[in-house]
Amino acid sequence: MLKILVPTLMLLPTAWMAPKKWLWPTTLLHSLLIATASLSWLKNMSETGWTTTNSYLATDALSTPLLVLSCWLLPLMILASQNHMALEPENRQRLYICLLTSLQIFLIMAFGATEVMMFYVMFEATLIPTLILITRWGNQTERLRAGVYFLFYTLAGSLPLLVALSLLYVSTGTLSLLILQYSEPLQLSGLADEFWWLGCMLAFLVKMPLYGVHLWLPKAHVEAPIAGSMILAAVLLKLGGYGMMRMLTMLDPLTKEMSYPFIVLALWGVIMTGSICLRQTDLKSLIAYSSVSHMGLVVGGILIQTPWGFTGALILMIAHGLTSSALFCLANTNYERTHTRTMVLARGLQTVLPLMATWWFISSLANLALPPLPNLMGELMIITSLLNWSWWTIALTGAGTLITAGYSLYMFLVTQRGKLPAHLPAIEPTHSREHLLITLHLLPLLLLILKPELIWGWAA
Amino acid sequence: MLTRLARLGPTVPRLLSNSSVRFVSQSKPTGAAGSTAVTELHPAESPGGHSEVSQYVKNPEYHGFSKDPVVDEWNMKIGFFFGISVALVIGGTFIHYLPDHGMRQWARREAERLILQREQEGLPLLEENYYDSNKIVLPSAGES
Repeated sequence: MLKILVPTLMLLPTAWMAPKKWLWPTTLLHSLLIATASLSWLKNMSETGWTTTNSYLATDALSTPLLVLSCWLLPLMILASQNHMALEPENRQRLYICLLTSLQIFLIMAFGATEVMMFYVMFEATLIPTLILITRWGNQTERLRAGVYFLFYTLAGSLPLLVALSLLYVSTGTLSLLILQYSEPLQLSGLADEFWWLGCMLAFLVKMPLYGVHLWLPKAHVEAPIAGSMILAAVLLKLGGYGMMRMLTMLDPLTKEMSYPFIVLALWGVIMTGSICLRQTDLKSLIAYSSVSHMGLVVGGILIQTPWGFTGALILMIAHGLTSSALFCLANTNYERTHTRTMVLARGLQTVLPLMATWWFISSLANLALPPLPNLMGELMIITSLLNWSWWTIALTGAGTLITAGYSLYMFLVTQRGKLPAHLPAIEPTHSREHLLITLHLLPLLLLILKPELIWGWAA
Repeated sequence: MLTRLARLGPTVPRLLSNSSVRFVSQSKPTGAAGSTAVTELHPAESPGGHSEVSQYVKNPEYHGFSKDPVVDEWNMKIGFFFGISVALVIGGTFIHYLPDHGMRQWARREAERLILQREQEGLPLLEENYYDSNKIVLPSAGES
């Protein structure tokens, strides 16, 4: 664990001391080496249980895929930010990289935490660099409102979590996941315990986000700079899912009844946000709502609490992380050329940028969950486990899948096909950097088809 | 103003000079005029910035990383080599050759072995009770 964490910490002095000309190549190299080393976490040789332990951090089959995803994302964020940051003064570039790095450090510690309180502290700590990224480097005045929504939605959800965790500590004497997950079930009954359940879950439901408390997400994703959007969509949402999966092991038997409204809300959210996507004019907003839609399915899968549900949720989280981040990168390549997010102002790009159209195509196919990509496998497992719980869910999930295919194809067709608008002057050819960026998103996704057991978690 | 732009050639992307951005593209005086940039609190590093001229004009081998061609080329090499050749190829090979991830192949072999063994011995494949029923201690009917 430390052989990844300490190099990541060392990325902070690297960002400040690298010569100005070589700042971005150096940090890119450093973060790629960290990402390569993080693959060693995938060596999970036992069925369950924790490996790579030290006093505070450990990994198991659930946290490992998410850890590797967040380590993989740092070089991608650096690649994506390089162009729009080139105009900024030198110190601000270094600060930007430091913010991304500190976010990475908090994420590693959050996913690796063995003590739930440490997870909570790191969960909250990730808010700060993200807030700074959104409010300082966002491009429109709406970024301030976005930052406020982001911060206060998450804080309002997580303050009850702090109280709930303190209560748990007082009653069980420990908050260590090594112990709590294998301890005897708590005697939970009565209204107070139901509020405690809600306190435990609310923070993560807001973070996922659950439809109903999802309003922060479109704002934050749209107003954030590309690196902010990437890390938000790919990893920060999954913090919520991960937290839920950890806490749910202790929350039986209340979950059987209390999860009911949230599962319904999540599935309804899949359809609602999917429908909103079909009416979006703003490209980034479309991708943001698509994230809410996919995460609704993940919430449903987690709250079902079956092995297939958990496994499907984890697979979908990883696959969606890569896909959604790729889509945001593609949207950013559009934005850097046209300086607008309005879709109809940048149509017919396939004629000008054919290879980029290929990446758009593959990413859109991944988004609509084409087999054999893991997106489909995750969705299918969740849909199946929901069906097992109640036949009625198939109406919602089936319609949701249909609408997802609809808006993904809509997004592809609007941006790529059709006539190039007359007002667009010469569009720069795609840079190698952009090709590399998208490739580094899509290749892992394709490679995961070959060895999906890496992301099955401990349940399958 | 536009005549000055025309001097730079037909390939000028008019909007590239915008370092402060709008939701909908609008034409704005370019940095070439030494704009006062009233909308920006923090002036960009070089107001011409990434320039009104496409980087490809100066450096036909522009890869998208940096204005300096040497840094640009090295950055490209580093990114592609360490990103694809090292991380994906070598990392992928490492992952491919990982032993039995999560003991799934072992579980399959063990199940097949046990099934064979139990069929030979004539035992049922699985006992009805998950726990040993002798070890379960139930309270007697009379206790509360």
